[in-house]
Amino acid sequence: MSNAVRETEAGRRRYLPGSWYAAIGPGVTVLLPASAKARVAAVWEQVDDGATFDDVLDVLLASGLRGLPDVVVVGDAGDAGEGTRVIVRGRGRVSCDTADGAVEVTAEPGATWGERTVAGVTGLTAEVEPDAAGDELSVVSGLVRVSRVTWGGGAVVGAAAASSVAVPEPTTSMPEPEPEPVEVEAEGPEAAGTGEHPAVATAAPDEQETVAGLPPAAESDHDGHTTAGVSGHLPAEPPGIEGQPPAPSVTSRPVARLVFSSGDTIEVDRAILVGRAPEARRFASSDQPQLVTVPSPHHEISSTHLEVRPGSGVDHGMSVATDLGSTNGTMLMQPGLPPEELQPGIAVSLMPGAIIDLGDGVTIQVTHP
Amino acid sequence: MRAVDLHHGASSEVGHVRTANEDAFLVAPPLFVVADGMGGHEGGDVASRIVVEEFARLPQDGRDSRAGAEAVVSTLARCQVRIREYATTRSGTGRRVHAGTTVVVALLVADDDGPKWLLANLGDSRIYRVVEGELDQVSVDHSVVQELVDAGEITAAEAAEHPERNVITRALGAALGTLEPDFFLLPLAAAERIVLCTDGVTGMIDDATMASILARSPDPRDAADGLVQAALVAGGHDNATAVVVDVVGSATDESFDLVRRRESLETKLGTLP
Repeated sequence: MSNAVRETEAGRRRYLPGSWYAAIGPGVTVLLPASAKARVAAVWEQVDDGATFDDVLDVLLASGLRGLPDVVVVGDAGDAGEGTRVIVRGRGRVSCDTADGAVEVTAEPGATWGERTVAGVTGLTAEVEPDAAGDELSVVSGLVRVSRVTWGGGAVVGAAAASSVAVPEPTTSMPEPEPEPVEVEAEGPEAAGTGEHPAVATAAPDEQETVAGLPPAAESDHDGHTTAGVSGHLPAEPPGIEGQPPAPSVTSRPVARLVFSSGDTIEVDRAILVGRAPEARRFASSDQPQLVTVPSPHHEISSTHLEVRPGSGVDHGMSVATDLGSTNGTMLMQPGLPPEELQPGIAVSLMPGAIIDLGDGVTIQVTHP
Repeated sequence: MRAVDLHHGASSEVGHVRTANEDAFLVAPPLFVVADGMGGHEGGDVASRIVVEEFARLPQDGRDSRAGAEAVVSTLARCQVRIREYATTRSGTGRRVHAGTTVVVALLVADDDGPKWLLANLGDSRIYRVVEGELDQVSVDHSVVQELVDAGEITAAEAAEHPERNVITRALGAALGTLEPDFFLLPLAAAERIVLCTDGVTGMIDDATMASILARSPDPRDAADGLVQAALVAGGHDNATAVVVDVVGSATDESFDLVRRRESLETKLGTLP
């Protein structure tokens, strides 16, 4: 992408959702079809690190051209000359706006690819799925699923683009989103879940609706100070461990049963907080944790000492235990393993037969539900 | 389970700047509610009053924490319907009406292992607790600046001066967005005193001032008055409301001290190593 384009749009691109992947980085943008999923992770890593056009080409072609029927690469020409360099292989089509008119780049049928270096680009549209329709979203950098990406003024390509001109930019100031490469690396059954969040980087249409739905601040004779506003200055942090699907907060069937030395038994179908005087903070009514108070006459057990919850990801179907930064720690004895002390904040999956020692003579035995 | 007595005090003032008090509160032990209305005359005041009316209808029978949370959620949903209906009806008269409100709730619930405080928050009114003499903010504001603080973009000190410090991200009456409050569950022993207040208090005086007022006011009525008066003295830019609830004859676990004293004695007497 040329400097001229970057300045006019401050690096923001607009895109229409679709099935292709667009890895949009500071210097280079790569569009790959859904069938090239295996390459996307490596390309994204390069693109996000600010790799040059040639670096990205190296990665793209590392495993040969034959497995890559379609690709679009757009970026700073760099050593190859002043301007914006565009490569189109297969179906894609790129239209560049310049002061001298539009320049179209496509691949001739039978050609390896079509390539142009265009100087003085003021706007650019890369279209890979011509029939796409829907609302345009915007992104600064990130990995998104697209049918079309537009920079700058945007050469209008196809009928769908006509409506997009009217779509306002999101009014909230979004910082540069931190896309998660993990979304791409995930394979197998968990990858299916990522399909629901194809646009890692943006939630622009939702925000627009929210803005519209709330009383406009200027108009409201508000209470001097407090006004309703819009959440989403920042993309919401996904809960749980990065790169893992969020844990089910409440499972339909218990994954384990805890037998306390006091005789109590508790089924693990939600988060369970164990301690001398446990507290639960910031939960929703739907995922209310269960608090279990255990006696601790010598105060060896902290007020909120241990969490046991249904596991997620590789621990799915099991329970996991986490020491919540207790003063005196937690010992875990698993069948066939040496005793270990739980590291604060690190979840450990529990096998049936495991015994958790909280101190003060309080132990918890883990059994099948 | 020992019987628990709740002593409470409440105070609400319009302040020096506003013409109407759009705050509202409910003290109906074991339920306490504070609401900070937004939208001006016949807007915010109505919204916060609707909240108090709806919560006043909650039956007073003992609940466990799960039933308590469900009751709070369904009551908030009823408030939302009424506030939206009111705003729509009023809009029919030609003038566009914005009615919204924050809500903080403290409800004493009875779980199998003892009584607990079930606390709920929607908006930027706050819930504090005093435990072992220390003031501790329990609720986390639903505000733009809180999101920035959580993200590490700004510090808490910068948040107090931030131009968008009064923009909240969740409230009753808003057309869209989540109505799900944050819940907190505290054992009584972990909260000798609970404070519910609007940002007319917390925006005018800092936590240290609050802590010293609470520390020198053993009577919750004096404490609530003290907080609101301090907010007025500090400028009274907004409606200021505070509800203070003390747990008296509480379920504080005293066995620890007794055991430790006995052991210490036994050690000194030489009966223990």
